[in-house]
Amino acid sequence: MKAHEITKDNWIKPGMTPGEIVSFLRELEGVALTCTGMRDAGQSDFKNRHRIYDLSTLCEYYEDMLLFSSECHGGARWHVGIMNRKESPFEEIEILREKMPSVMLQTLIRETNLWGYRPYPKNVIEYVVERVDIDVWRCFSFLNDVRNMRTVAEIVMKRGRLFQPAISFTQAEWTTNEYYMSVVDDIVSLCGGVDEIILCIKDMAGVGSPERIRSLVDAIKQKYPELIIQYHRHATDGLAMPALLAAAQAGAKILDAEEDSLTRFYGQAPILGLQAYLEESGIPVVLNRDAAIGAVQKVREWIGHYEWAESPFKGFDHQVTYHRMPGGAFPSSFEQAEKNGFLHLMPAILKVMSLYNKIIKYFDVTPGSQITWVTCSGIVNKYEKEQGESGVRHVIKLLTKFVEEKNQDFDAMEPHEQEELLQLFRHAPGDFRNLLLGGYGRLPQGWPADWVYKSTFGDEWEEKIKERDDSSPLDSVKQDDLERIKADLGVTLGREPTSEEFTLYLMHPKDAINYIDFREKYGDAPLVLPTNVWREGLKTPGDKVEFELYGKPYSIELLSVGAEHEGLIHVVVKINNKTKVYKVETPRAKKVEIRMAKGENEIGAPINGNVWRIGNPDRGTIKVGDIVHQGEEIANLEAMKMENAIVAPFDAVVEEIAIKLNDQVQEGQLLFVLKKLD
Amino acid sequence: MSDTIKKMLIANRGVPAVRIMHTCRDRRVPTVAVYSTPDRLSQHVMMADEAIHIGEAPPIESYLNMEKMIEAALRTKADTINPGWGFLAENADFAEMVLDAGLKWVGPSPKVIRMMGDKIEAKRIAQKANVPTIPGISDVKEVDEIKEWMDRDNVDYPLMIKAASGGGGKGMVKVSNDAELPMALAQAKSEAKKAFGDDTLLVEKYIERGRHIEVQIVADNFGNVFHLFERECTLQRRNQKIIEEAPSPSIDENIRHEICYTAKRLMREIGYTTAGTVEFIFDISTKKFYFLEVNTRLQVEHGVTELITGLDIVGLMMDVVEGNQLQLTQEKIHMNRWALEVRVNAEDPKTFSPSFGTITRLQTPTGPWIRVAPGVYEGADVPPYYDSLIMLIMASGRTREGAIKVMDRTLSRNLRIEGVKTLTPLLLSIIRHEAFKRGEFSTKFIESHLDELVSMFKEKDSQDEVLKIAKFVAEITALGPQEWM
Repeated sequence: MKAHEITKDNWIKPGMTPGEIVSFLRELEGVALTCTGMRDAGQSDFKNRHRIYDLSTLCEYYEDMLLFSSECHGGARWHVGIMNRKESPFEEIEILREKMPSVMLQTLIRETNLWGYRPYPKNVIEYVVERVDIDVWRCFSFLNDVRNMRTVAEIVMKRGRLFQPAISFTQAEWTTNEYYMSVVDDIVSLCGGVDEIILCIKDMAGVGSPERIRSLVDAIKQKYPELIIQYHRHATDGLAMPALLAAAQAGAKILDAEEDSLTRFYGQAPILGLQAYLEESGIPVVLNRDAAIGAVQKVREWIGHYEWAESPFKGFDHQVTYHRMPGGAFPSSFEQAEKNGFLHLMPAILKVMSLYNKIIKYFDVTPGSQITWVTCSGIVNKYEKEQGESGVRHVIKLLTKFVEEKNQDFDAMEPHEQEELLQLFRHAPGDFRNLLLGGYGRLPQGWPADWVYKSTFGDEWEEKIKERDDSSPLDSVKQDDLERIKADLGVTLGREPTSEEFTLYLMHPKDAINYIDFREKYGDAPLVLPTNVWREGLKTPGDKVEFELYGKPYSIELLSVGAEHEGLIHVVVKINNKTKVYKVETPRAKKVEIRMAKGENEIGAPINGNVWRIGNPDRGTIKVGDIVHQGEEIANLEAMKMENAIVAPFDAVVEEIAIKLNDQVQEGQLLFVLKKLD
Repeated sequence: MSDTIKKMLIANRGVPAVRIMHTCRDRRVPTVAVYSTPDRLSQHVMMADEAIHIGEAPPIESYLNMEKMIEAALRTKADTINPGWGFLAENADFAEMVLDAGLKWVGPSPKVIRMMGDKIEAKRIAQKANVPTIPGISDVKEVDEIKEWMDRDNVDYPLMIKAASGGGGKGMVKVSNDAELPMALAQAKSEAKKAFGDDTLLVEKYIERGRHIEVQIVADNFGNVFHLFERECTLQRRNQKIIEEAPSPSIDENIRHEICYTAKRLMREIGYTTAGTVEFIFDISTKKFYFLEVNTRLQVEHGVTELITGLDIVGLMMDVVEGNQLQLTQEKIHMNRWALEVRVNAEDPKTFSPSFGTITRLQTPTGPWIRVAPGVYEGADVPPYYDSLIMLIMASGRTREGAIKVMDRTLSRNLRIEGVKTLTPLLLSIIRHEAFKRGEFSTKFIESHLDELVSMFKEKDSQDEVLKIAKFVAEITALGPQEWM
């Protein structure tokens, strides 16, 4: 079918089988587009802070744009969602499905690392992937270890959803067409042929030169002419447009782009410009341009609220072809550098990264990019702390000499330089160590040289090399006891968790609990508040925010904000027509620290009440050091004239009494610390 | 001999004080409220014609302080003291002091209160009047006595230990096995001592799955004793009633007749006057009822009886105190409705842990077939020192089903209380439970279904949800963008 014959009615939509989609695309003359406006655009240039409140305003345009898919899920959006935006990826999907039912929703998943940063056990992968309502599953491995994709591929294909395996692309001496063809062979064999998948070339740092990409697409097409190829490319090096054209000319069928008005430096190419450029070059593009213009305009209405989230490092950076920091990691790395006061070291860190890349070879994309970042920024920071700026210059010189002059011949280095290299990775993070030991799978070019192990593990290096595991984490990571984890979560929440809450918890336990607490406390605030109010509240008395809740109109109007007094600020608001006063504690509020009982040795109050007796009438008051017996009453609480005996759960010595007679205590508050007697 | 009440001091607070003031106002009897320091802005204080401070927060210094109470009445020139329920309501010494001070006492004579206040004595009298009683022993001090009796009379666990002078669930402890017995006995003793100043205990066989049914009696000084039918008060937690209804769905006409006339007979026997209640436990499997106790006061749940009979029990008590003959005949007392009452306690509905604080918002339910007995108003404080009851809500209907629907509407769409937690979600789950609707429940219902009831707690409500959002807006407005964003 020709691109201009495509209408909303005959276009690809959710519910089609992977086979139908692939056949349709094979017959298509021209290219289709995936819009990354709802995920990667925000991740690459705005730290993933784009809220569903704003993104969902684009749905009505996407519904008519004739996109192949909307990449709206996955990558770091999941984690940042629960941590920073306080949005659940599940409610995002629900909102998008309702507002753009004809659009294929796409995620980005990191094989065994899912949407987290470490390999999850196989049964967790199965549980999670089965429960996420996504049509297109782009799955990549930062090691190009195709074995690690097996479980995700199986579940997605069994569900009849489209699996889109990706090859992680970078530009290095060893990333030749032959190398990539072996990865593609593995993928084709994993997926049982080329009829039910789309292959993605994931150029996550934006480093593929146009001719390099043309050659790679061509090589794949030569061997697998029926394979549908999608090219995902960041714009960092400034060469996105010609590279995308080269890919399309060589036979790529789908390209990634984003709204022109979202475009900054590290995301995808601008969608309207890309369409114009391709069509001028004779390649028809499936895109309803009017709808796309609508989306581009809509973005301008809210993008100004996110200026604070943009990277302080602005502009294209062709040096990315050396340091290879992926687009998605740019703003977060700079954010971290800024927050921790080493923004000035960024050029040095990027330089060290480009040298490190040649010593330990994998692809700089999550979680690899985090490992690279933490390791390299750690090394530079350490040198700066110990030796100042000259130290930073020194380590760069050392590594440059080792990599570029001596071609990584360790023995060719001076003895004192060898000594220094052998200390280089001694403080590297745990994930780096785990990587060297095979925790994430096989490295694409084999294990690093022995000196790296000596440098990392010191005297234990030989033992560690023996421990090194060549198998996939799918086989080496122990299964989790899901029932037990779910029960633990139930205890923490004090109620049965929903399946979605449990899924969030499996991915990021601590952050999921914070998220659930936040939403219990603040309800749908993340979903209904406009972004300026979400971030800054109401500015001046008379300002109001209006929204609907269950179809009912609500307005919150600011009446007054009091001055801070003893750590409290009184905020008076009008909710519809009722006035309400909120006492807000500032960080200077005097906190009465209440210790809560934790673990079996700490005895907590079963109810809110008054401690009217410590001990019992038979033995009198109990003191620290006393021995108490199982079942013996050790205190009594009174509330509303009812008595509640606190009894020792086992024979024990009283280690601490955390309350005084006649204290008013809260439920769960620590009363006693006991030490069990054998 | 008519002796009109000129001014009444209500020796109580909260819901009972407010309830009594309502009838006083109907009759144009001026009222005096008493209050402790934390109660100085309470609803009963504001509602009375005048008020007097009687002491500090602890009940013993205020609402339980007999001397101060009498002094307050004398100082305000009240000629009558109405104790309501709780506090001094069943205290015979206090009743005597009131009368000795030349004041009128709204309640039965001190002699009757004393007799019925002693559980052991009451039981003995009931036996003498041929009223069936539960097997048990009196004046228990030691564990061995209990065991001996169990052997002798072939009684099995569970048992119930009660304070001889108790009521309201205080000083009552259930025992399921030998191991629990010593501590349960000690606890009951201590609670009894604290709540009633008397640690005499009795032990009875505990009737499992029993129904708690009570008969409302009114009687004058002329030998006229009437019953106003029964109430079902089976739904309890920790032996405190939380839902009551009239009539009882557990009994048929024959048993109703039998239980009401048994109660009347007993009350006539003891020379009861004003209003009081005879409580029974009804064993649904054997269809037998046993005497539990006589409550010599106005009951919390008297309102449901008022709703089904159209009588004002508080007013009838005043009639009797004024020396009038009750203008009633038993044949003309009919029930023409079904009524249900829930106790809105300021407590966590999952843990029953008391919830204190300021009621920041109170939307009192309105609409057809609803009666509300409030004890607080919007802006009032719920202090931690007293009973957690803040409001009674009654619903009525031509049938039980109709009354339940009214209550459902009231609790789910009409009532709003913010600032303190209340039992409302639990109450709503109970009246929505199929077993409750079928009338199949026992005193164990709540504890045995608690998880299920909690899981039925109503889903999100836009009014609750918007408050959470407003809280967020207020915090961000005051504090600015947050680090975690």
